[in-house]
Amino acid sequence: MRAPAPTGPAGSSGRLAAYAGIVVCLALLLLWPEGLSAAQEGPLTAVDDVRTFFGLNPRKTVWFVAQLHLLFAAFVLGVPIFAVIVEFIGWRTGDRRYDRLAQEFTRLLAAAFATTAALGGLLAFTLYGLYPKFANYFTAIFAPSMYVYAGLFFLETAVLYLYYNSWERLRESKGLHISLGVLLNVVGTVLVFVANSWASYMMAPVGVDESGAFTGTTLQAVANPLWMPLNIHRILGNVTFGGFVVGAYAAVRFLSSRSPEQRAHYDWMGYVGNFVGLAALIPLPFAGYYLGREIYSASPVMGNNMMGGAFSWTFIMQAMLVGLLFIAANYYLWSGMSRIPGAERYRHFTKYFNVVLIVCVAVWLTPRNIPLTAGEQLALGGQVHPILGYLGLMSAKNAVINLIILTTFASLLLYRRANKTDLVPISQQPARVRMVVVGAGALCFLILAWYGWVLLRLQPASLDLAPEKAVYFRIVALLLFLGIAVAVTCVILTLRDRGQLAQILYFTFAAATCAGFLGVYGFIVMVEANPFLRQVAVAQWLVLMTALILITGIDVVLFRRARKMGRIRWGEVTGRSQYALISLCVTIVLTMGLMGFVRSGLRENWHIYGVMRDTSQWAFTPSHASMAQMVGSITLVFLGAIAFLFWLAGLGKTRSREARRASGASGRDGAREAT
Amino acid sequence: MTRDALKVLLFTIGLVVLFVWAGEVITRASGGAEAAVLGEGVSVENGEQIFWGPGKCHTCHSAGTRGSNVRCPNLGASADGSEIGLRSVERARERSEELGQEMSPVEYLVESIVSPSAHVVEGYKDEMPKVYEPPISLGADEISSVILYLQALGGVPEPGRIVLPAEIRMAGLGGGSTEPWAPYLAGDTLRGSEIFFDVEGPAPCAKCHRVGDRGGDIGPELTGVAGTRPARFIVESVLQPSLEIASGYETVLIQLTDGRLLDGVVRSESADSLWLVTSDGEEVGLEPAEIARRREQELSLMPDNFSDVLTVTDLHDLLAYLFTLR
Repeated sequence: MRAPAPTGPAGSSGRLAAYAGIVVCLALLLLWPEGLSAAQEGPLTAVDDVRTFFGLNPRKTVWFVAQLHLLFAAFVLGVPIFAVIVEFIGWRTGDRRYDRLAQEFTRLLAAAFATTAALGGLLAFTLYGLYPKFANYFTAIFAPSMYVYAGLFFLETAVLYLYYNSWERLRESKGLHISLGVLLNVVGTVLVFVANSWASYMMAPVGVDESGAFTGTTLQAVANPLWMPLNIHRILGNVTFGGFVVGAYAAVRFLSSRSPEQRAHYDWMGYVGNFVGLAALIPLPFAGYYLGREIYSASPVMGNNMMGGAFSWTFIMQAMLVGLLFIAANYYLWSGMSRIPGAERYRHFTKYFNVVLIVCVAVWLTPRNIPLTAGEQLALGGQVHPILGYLGLMSAKNAVINLIILTTFASLLLYRRANKTDLVPISQQPARVRMVVVGAGALCFLILAWYGWVLLRLQPASLDLAPEKAVYFRIVALLLFLGIAVAVTCVILTLRDRGQLAQILYFTFAAATCAGFLGVYGFIVMVEANPFLRQVAVAQWLVLMTALILITGIDVVLFRRARKMGRIRWGEVTGRSQYALISLCVTIVLTMGLMGFVRSGLRENWHIYGVMRDTSQWAFTPSHASMAQMVGSITLVFLGAIAFLFWLAGLGKTRSREARRASGASGRDGAREAT
Repeated sequence: MTRDALKVLLFTIGLVVLFVWAGEVITRASGGAEAAVLGEGVSVENGEQIFWGPGKCHTCHSAGTRGSNVRCPNLGASADGSEIGLRSVERARERSEELGQEMSPVEYLVESIVSPSAHVVEGYKDEMPKVYEPPISLGADEISSVILYLQALGGVPEPGRIVLPAEIRMAGLGGGSTEPWAPYLAGDTLRGSEIFFDVEGPAPCAKCHRVGDRGGDIGPELTGVAGTRPARFIVESVLQPSLEIASGYETVLIQLTDGRLLDGVVRSESADSLWLVTSDGEEVGLEPAEIARRREQELSLMPDNFSDVLTVTDLHDLLAYLFTLR
C-alpha cells in the first residue's frame, strides 16, 4: 500500500521547517562578522568585572541571548492568555472552532516552554560567566526571589501539562478546564512579575546607600518604582504578540492551503489572532506612556535621555514600527470586509481612515530637528523648519497617537456592524441590557470627574509654577466636566433609540478634544506652564479611554440581535491581507527587540543605574545602525525558531493521524481475518 | 519549498532589511556614528562636546535654535532671554540682591550647576540633577569646560575665575564602590534593644524616638528606619546628630518677653499660637505676644555625646538593634 502524500498542514510544515532553517542561517551570517571582529580586540583590563567567550563582545552576547529569551518568554506567556480567551469564547458561544484553536496552540507550548527554559539557563550562564561581579552583586540582592522564580517555573510546568492533557477528559467540565487555564496564566503572570523586578531594579534601584551598597531588603528591591509599570506594559505587549503570532501562523497556513475548508479555517484563525492582538495593541500606548512617565519620575536624567537625548531617534524608529502595526492591522480589517455581505456600505470610509492614519504616522515620526549643514540651514531658514518643526514636539505626537487609536477603533466598529441591519430599538431591549449603556456612562462619569477634580485641586506650587498659572489647569478640568455632560447626553440619546447619533457625538467630542483642542493647547502649555504638559497628556488619554468604553458599551447594545445580511464567507479574502498579518508578526517582534534595546540601553554604561558602572571597553551605546542589525538578526532567528516549533508540532499531529489511520486499517484487517 | 513559502520568506526578510536600512539612515541623519572624542583639560570646545554629549545638558536645555528640548530654559538667544553668557550678568545681579552679597556672573553659573535648586527660573521645575553625582558623574574639569562653553554663548570665557567647591573637586574619586558599610563588631540586637528603651540609661533613645508603639515623639519615628536609610547614615545620626537634621525636627531657640529661654522643636504653628516640644519632652503653648525673639538652631536637640557615654560594645549593640528596624 502506498503511503498517503503529505497534504495540508504536514506539507506546509515541511516548508516551514525549511523556511526556519534559512532564516536562522541568514541571521547567523549577519552576526558572524561581529564575533570575528571582536575576537581580534586586545586583552581585557578588568578581568574581575567582565570576561569574553570565544572573543565575542560580551555585551552583545548577553543582549542576543536575553532578547531571544524574552521573545520566547513572551510567546509562552502570550499564547496561554490567547488560548484561555479563545477557549472561553468557544465555551460561551458553543462554537467548537474556538476550542480547537485554543488546543492547537496549547500543543505548541510544550516545545516552546523547553526552549524558553533552555534560553533562560543560557542567559544565566552568560551573565554569571561574562559579568561575574555584576551577577554576584545582583544575586546577593535577589537570591530569595530567584528560588521563588524556580518554584513558580515548576508549578507553571505542572499546570501547563495538566491544562493540555486534561483537555479531552474535562470536555464536559469546561468551566473547570478554563479555571486551570486561568491558573496557568496567574502562575505565568506572577513568574514574569518576578523576572520584571530584576529588569526594572537595574533601571531604578532602591535601598542603596551613597557608596552603592545595598542596604534594603529583597522585597524593597522587587517593589521598585518601575516594577508595576513594566509589568503592565509587558502583559499587554505579550497578549498583542501572542495574537499576532497566531495571525501570522494562520496566514502562512492560509497561503499554502488548497482546499476551501482549510482556507476558511485559517482565514478565521487569522481574524481571531488579529482581533486579540489589536484589542491589546490599542491600550498598549497608554501603558507605554505610563512606563515612560515613571522612568522620568524615577530618574529625570534617564527620562530626558529617553525622550530628548540619545534615544529620541530610537523613538522615531519605534513610531515607524508602531505606525506600521496600526496601518497593517487596519488594512487587514478593511480587506476582511470583502468577505462580509453588507460591508460595502462602509467601504468608502476606509480611504479617509487610510489618509488619517498615514498623515498621523508621518507626524508621529517627524523629528524636531536633525544635524544640518550651514547651506541646509540657510535653505530651511534655521535649524528647525518653521512649520514642520512643531510636529516634532511632544504635544503634536500625543495628538496624533490619540487620533490613530480612534481611527483604528472606528475601523473595528465598522467591521463589527458590517453585515448587520434592522436594529432592535434599545427601548425594546431588556432592562439589564440597557444597564450596560448606563454602566459605561457611569464609568466614564467617574473617570472624567475624578481627574477633573484632581486638576481643580492641583496646586501650581507642586509643579514649581506661579499661582496665576492655575488657570491653565482649570481649562482642562472644565473640558473634562464638559465631557461628563456629553457622556450623559449620549447615554440619554441611546436610551431614546438614538444610539448611532450618540456614538457619533461622543466620537466627535473625543477626536476634537484629544487631537484638536488639547493638541493645540499643549503648545500653549509648553510655553506658559511647561511642567503641566504631563497632565494634559493624561487628560487626553482619559478622554480617549472614555470614548472606547462608552462607544463600545453603546455598540454592544445597539447591534444586539440585529438581523445579519448574510454569513461571513470565510476563506474568501485576498492574499495581500495575509501578508498584512505576517507583517504584523514581524513588526511586533522587531518592536519588542527595539524596546528591549531602549529599556537596557537607557542604563548606558551602568549595569545598575547610578550604582554599578560597567567599566569595560564595550560599555557604550551602539549606533542605531548597529542596533538595527542586532535586532534584525534576533528577529530572524526567533521567527526561524518559532517556525521550526510549528513544524515540530505539525509533525506530531501528522504522525498521530497516520498512526490512527494505520491502527484503523489493521483493525479492519484483523476483523476481516476473524470472519 | 513552494512558491508561497518562498514569498513569505522573502517578505519577512524584506521587512527586516527595511528596518536595518532605517537604522542606517537614522544613524547618518542624526550623526550618531561620529563619536565625539574629548580633548585634554578645560576648554570651550570640550565644554560644547560635553553639553551636547555625556553631560546630557541638551536633554533638557536648548541653545538658541540648536537642540529641541524645552524642559529647562533655553540657554541661547530665545524667548527665555539673551544668550546665557550675557544673561548670567543680569541673573548674577538679581541673585546678589536676593542674597545680600555680591555674586559674579561666573559664580552664578557655578551655583546653577553645584546647587541647581538654589535659584529656579520662573516657569520651570526644580528638577536639575547634580551633574557631578551618578549617573552623569562629570568631573571638575568637565564641569569647568561646560561653564566656559556657557560663558562663550554671548559672553567672554573666564577660565581663571572658575572656582568649584571642594565637593565637586572630590566627586568621582571614590565612586563605584559596592561594598556595604559594615560595623566593626557584630553587636547583640537584644542588648541594643534594652539600651534603646532604657530611659534611665546612658542612651535613653526611646525618650524621644518611637519604634512601633513604644517611645516618645520628640524626635523622628524610627520604625523601619533601616529599610529607608543606609547604615552609614544611621551611624552618623547617632554620633553626629547635627550633621543632618530630619525635616520638621529642626531646633528653635525662643526668648520670651519675660526673658526666659526655651529650646525645642516646633510641633505646630498658627497665627494665634505656637506649640513647642522642649528638650525635656514638655509641650508648651505660646502666644505670639509672649515671644520676644526666635532663632533657628543648627544644633539638633539630640545629645552628641554618645561616643563618650557608650562603650564600643554598647554602641555596636545599639547599632545592631537599629539595623533590624526594617
